[in-house]
Amino acid sequence: MHHIYCPYCEEMREEEEYSYTGEAHIERPKDPAAISDEAWADYIFFRSNPRGIHHEMWYHAAGCRRYFNATRDTQSYKVHETYKMGEMPTITAATVAANQVAKGDAS
Amino acid sequence: MTNVDTSTSMESPLHHRVAHTNAANAGVVMKEDKFRGQLNLRGNPQDAAFTSAVEKVLGVALPMAPSSSVRNGDTVVYWLCPNEWLLIVASGTQGQVEADLRSAMDGQHIAVTDISSGQTLVNLSGTGVAELMQKSTVYDCHDSNFPVGKVVQTTFAKTGTTMCKLEDGSYDLVIRRSFSDYFFLWLQDASDEYGLSVS
Repeated sequence: MHHIYCPYCEEMREEEEYSYTGEAHIERPKDPAAISDEAWADYIFFRSNPRGIHHEMWYHAAGCRRYFNATRDTQSYKVHETYKMGEMPTITAATVAANQVAKGDAS
Repeated sequence: MTNVDTSTSMESPLHHRVAHTNAANAGVVMKEDKFRGQLNLRGNPQDAAFTSAVEKVLGVALPMAPSSSVRNGDTVVYWLCPNEWLLIVASGTQGQVEADLRSAMDGQHIAVTDISSGQTLVNLSGTGVAELMQKSTVYDCHDSNFPVGKVVQTTFAKTGTTMCKLEDGSYDLVIRRSFSDYFFLWLQDASDEYGLSVS
């Protein structure tokens, strides 16, 4: 049992209802013809794949069929927050690191 | 856009599923609410012209709160997502309702889709239904989490369903026509210990 909060249904739902759809906040280049092949390939293929805090898109496939964003720890699978499309995360790798320093947690 | 001609022979998705062998004192009763008209409605909930036009046609305001529903006689409106609703209307009237909605919302950026033939409405009741739901869906159907009138789109035996709890404690499930046979076979197996009656 792993529950994830859907910001549109406004409640916790079982993971089975969702599907993961990749890294969030990737913006399509405004004018693809004007950028280099390298920059285009970077947009199309390359993802950050971090260990730790990751902002990613999820799809509530069996529920409201809406995409939303989630901040998840790729190491522990803990979902820190979910937020609607177009919004920005309140929890980032920087805020988590700052919290750890404040708590005196060196790890 | 024309209404369904009910004078021709029609078969509902579960027409071939009739009374079960252990139907005596059955703990689970399945009743297919056949041929109900079902329309999918999309529009901007912030647009007063849209919401008032729909209210004028249906006689009830669209439910805006997540997972809510409203009823007005044979007309039922389910909230599906912030800009999408499922309208369940009396059998055979969906063509007229669709036409009325289109003329009331003429020129607006909306979508009305008749999906009556793609899904069917099934009612589950009986003393064993709560336990049946526990083993069939990942959603917590206890009254504290799933009160009367709440609508939830989730999975039922891994297939998609839109379910609503009624005042008498029974469940209305909207299931896909293409999954109706699978749904029944699951129901038959899952309700074996309570007994299943098909009415």
